Amino acid sequence: MSTTFLPCGDYHQTYAQEHAWWQTKFIKGKMICLFLCLFVFIPLVANDYWISICNMVGYTILGALGVQLLIGYCGQLTLGQGAFIAVGAYVSTLLVLEFPWPQFMLDWGIAYPVSVLVAGIAAGIWSVFFGLPSARVKGFYLILTTMAAQFITVDFLLTQYVSQIGGRGQAFSLPAGTIKLGPWVIDSDLKVYYLMIMLVIVFCVVISNLMRSRVGRAWVAIRDNDISAEVMGINVVKYKLLAFFVAGFIAGITGAFWISNLAAISPEHFPWFLSLSLVGVILIGGVSSIHGTIFGAIFMVVVMELLQLAVMPLADTYPKLLMDFLFIKEAAFGLAICLFLMFEPNGLAYRWWQIKNYFNLWPFSY
Amino acid sequence: MELFLMALTNGIMVGGIYALVAIGWVLIYKCSGVLNLAMGEMTLIGAYISLTFYSMGLPFLLALLVSLIIGLLLGILTERVFLDKLIGEPALSVIMVTVGLSFFFRGTIELIWGTDTRVFNPPVFSIEPITIGMISISEVYLWSFVAAIILLVIFVCFFKYTRWGLAMQATADDEMAALSLGVSARFVYAAAWAIAFMAAGVGGTLLGNINGLNISVGYLGLLVLPAVVLGGLNSVPGAIVGGIAIGILQNFTGVYLDRFFPGAVKEVAPFAFMAIFLLFKPHGLWGWERIERV
Repeated sequence: MSTTFLPCGDYHQTYAQEHAWWQTKFIKGKMICLFLCLFVFIPLVANDYWISICNMVGYTILGALGVQLLIGYCGQLTLGQGAFIAVGAYVSTLLVLEFPWPQFMLDWGIAYPVSVLVAGIAAGIWSVFFGLPSARVKGFYLILTTMAAQFITVDFLLTQYVSQIGGRGQAFSLPAGTIKLGPWVIDSDLKVYYLMIMLVIVFCVVISNLMRSRVGRAWVAIRDNDISAEVMGINVVKYKLLAFFVAGFIAGITGAFWISNLAAISPEHFPWFLSLSLVGVILIGGVSSIHGTIFGAIFMVVVMELLQLAVMPLADTYPKLLMDFLFIKEAAFGLAICLFLMFEPNGLAYRWWQIKNYFNLWPFSY
Repeated sequence: MELFLMALTNGIMVGGIYALVAIGWVLIYKCSGVLNLAMGEMTLIGAYISLTFYSMGLPFLLALLVSLIIGLLLGILTERVFLDKLIGEPALSVIMVTVGLSFFFRGTIELIWGTDTRVFNPPVFSIEPITIGMISISEVYLWSFVAAIILLVIFVCFFKYTRWGLAMQATADDEMAALSLGVSARFVYAAAWAIAFMAAGVGGTLLGNINGLNISVGYLGLLVLPAVVLGGLNSVPGAIVGGIAIGILQNFTGVYLDRFFPGAVKEVAPFAFMAIFLLFKPHGLWGWERIERV
């Protein structure tokens, strides 16, 4: 749908042409280069440290996609996405560890994929449950209910009750080799990386396709003006709840995927900070844009990592810095959100679009 | 029965502190339409400042006064630097700026004061409970409640009888009309933030006296959200009633429901209550219900 290097004017003859993903040879080449880079180049050159950073970026993208769908496309403000990620992670872990799988399913490695799907659906339903007030309220009030979702789910249910299942205490440890995808045991960062890339691509495609279907247009209509949307015959409540379900589903899959990267999961992995920072990611990247989600995630993870690299050499002289870095990071992230909203309210995606347009129209930019 | 009365009085006493912080929140919302999620961190800042000065040997009231003055300055500074640019932006941006501010404040607090629990040492209030009739209340609770009530009365007088208070009421009621009568809206916004910061500081100091001060006291500051939802977002009496009601609710769930749901039911109950309450009466008890037109 991008129009890079398309000649001036409208040459499309069918709707299918107009909606095509890759409209020009240039875009096709660009995307193939991108895929080559993602699948071959990065695993080839990056060491373990950078691969784990990439995994973190992917996790942030996946988590933020659900937020993007709710806030950016459907206009339902949410601050509780972390809760649904946690639900996904816990459902998947519990299924893998506690469910009496038949032996052949364990041998063939079907247990984990099935648990991922179940986790997605469970998190989706849980999300719809907390999205129910959206039928009556919107804006700030919805923020409060989703916030309640975070506290009820993570701080109460997961910490107090679910963590007690099986008598393991606070954390559920995942022994090596438990996470098996078919014959493929996911036990190294690189394998997590491939899984992550697949999931990110699949979900980006799913959301972009949803957005050019009836469902997506209904969501955008609700975002822009829900009363008008209702007048036009859109079942507002149904589509709002559908948005909550899809966002929860994505969150559930994200959580279930992320357990493959963790040796043990505990409620501390899903604090309220996570939910807030996911909203921060889409605001930094740009609301209502999948590009924006990706840029925001990269910015958030990589810039924070660079900050760490910049600060660490000083740690030899000031040993206290090593301990305090977490706090510096928190403050810097908060400041980054504030500054972005004040000086670049449209996010990085807008800046990207401007740069692209500059080259598109060059040398006559008017 | 005794248990019931104990829970009720303790609830009312703690609720007084919540009400105080909630008034600050409502004030910001009424005057400038900003939905503030940094309230928890604002209580922390005020509490830590007064604790620092108290540990340096100042008398408690003087330390509180210093924290009020610093709160005033910080409030004006915050409004001028961060919120002033965002007048007229969509609600999400403004809310997220306050979220960003809360991260920033929290990181700074942890950087300066660390994460260990600190107590007011020597204790400001004696540990001996005061017995009235058949109920006994610890002195901290009683004094906190008294302080909260005094401040509430001061606030109410300020809004009713002073020129600045009237200007703030006018702006909250109708910004256009207030502007045309010569009220400076920018001044009112700054004043609202300053007052909110000061109220939060007093509330935080009192909360810090009860169980010591660490970063999780900021979470208690978040309890203003259920309180203001219950009372209605733009109602000062609603904030008082809501704050006290949330305090009572918290103590009752702590006393009666803890048996059935062991653990943190006391902390979660206000939020669960808020989520259910929003389903039935989203505009609170006394909030304005805005009629939407296309």
